[in-house]
Amino acid sequence: MPTKRQKNVWRSEINDIIRGACGGFLFGIPLLYTMEVWWIGSLAKPQLMMMAIALMFVVVYLLNQIEGFRKRRYTGLAHQAAMDTVEAIAIGLACSTFVLLLLRELTPETSLRESLGKIIFESVPFALGVALANQLLGDIENSNAEGQATNSITKNKGGELNATFADLGATLIGATVIAFNIAPTDEIPMLAAATSAPWELAMIAASLLISYGIVFQAGFSDQQKRRQQKGIFQRPSSETIMSYLVSLLAGAFMLWFFQKLTFSDPWTMWLDHTLILGLPATIGGAAGRLAI
Amino acid sequence: MTKTEQQPKRSMAEWVTFSIASFILAIVVSLVGYTWLNEKNQPPILSVTKKETIREIDGQFYVPFEVVNSGGDTAESVQIMAELLIDGKVTETGEQQIDFLSSGESEEGAFIFSKNPRQGQLNLRVGSYKLP
Repeated sequence: MPTKRQKNVWRSEINDIIRGACGGFLFGIPLLYTMEVWWIGSLAKPQLMMMAIALMFVVVYLLNQIEGFRKRRYTGLAHQAAMDTVEAIAIGLACSTFVLLLLRELTPETSLRESLGKIIFESVPFALGVALANQLLGDIENSNAEGQATNSITKNKGGELNATFADLGATLIGATVIAFNIAPTDEIPMLAAATSAPWELAMIAASLLISYGIVFQAGFSDQQKRRQQKGIFQRPSSETIMSYLVSLLAGAFMLWFFQKLTFSDPWTMWLDHTLILGLPATIGGAAGRLAI
Repeated sequence: MTKTEQQPKRSMAEWVTFSIASFILAIVVSLVGYTWLNEKNQPPILSVTKKETIREIDGQFYVPFEVVNSGGDTAESVQIMAELLIDGKVTETGEQQIDFLSSGESEEGAFIFSKNPRQGQLNLRVGSYKLP
């Protein structure tokens, strides 16, 4: 059946790429919300950018020789690791460009040199995350059996409600950890000032998509377990939306906690601040759900 | 995987993604190379211009301006000053600071006066900048 095999080949390749991108998001998103990195990128000279690419290549290459973002390993082949490195860097460049565009840090008016600097410097943590994708969230072979075992235990313990609460709790913890780190910084009000309604909608869409990708598409360790998990929101789509809302809540609470938002502020301010913090928060929430 | 096992060959799909990836990387590297070669070793050249329309709202006059860096290097902390002279005397001043202005970049803003700038002479100038 050549057609079916070919289909599988494409499917596993796309899954590999998605896994890499999700690893990149987990690792790279906090730096994307750091204005100092934008500035360093804006001011970087082309020589420095070339050096950054070269260093990124070396480090990602070394990581790829140990463990890459692919499920299938090519052990002991130097050129295979080099090819994976090119792909990891390209994924990093593409993803960081996407988020920088979403955050309006890159606009058509940004000069070429500045955009290149921002993209390259932001893609360094992204590419590292891509190379670390498999390591970020545990080992695949072992956890399938393990996952099934724990799954049957949760089933026996029963209670859709229990599973749902466990999920929501994990989302809340993951989202809070990330939101706690980003909420007190000045980036959120800064980014919120530049955003407008269509961009906020795009941000919601991107948050949902990345969250879905991390939990259900990327094939991280616990994916099998997650798909079998029973809960009130056991369908991937409803779980993704539910956890996004929980992450938004965690983000809003953190903004209030750090007095970035007060009750006398207009609701539009609450909305755009929360939506902007929602993107990293929901990525943290997704990681939290995989980690339990 | 042991060495006796056959190494799996790269599939068609993997070759396609690899070529897309190397294409992206090649574009970025060549763009960096392009900016490197075309680098103007020139200090910042800053100019500020008044924009056409002055808005009047609730007795206040909004004068939009645009500042452009046509030089080579990035300027930091660009200070823009506005002076409104009526009957030869400075009646109102304004000041604005722009964090970063890289080569070719422009930023917009507005000064707000309580007297009508059309009745006098309005001077806009860039006061200072620093190199990063």
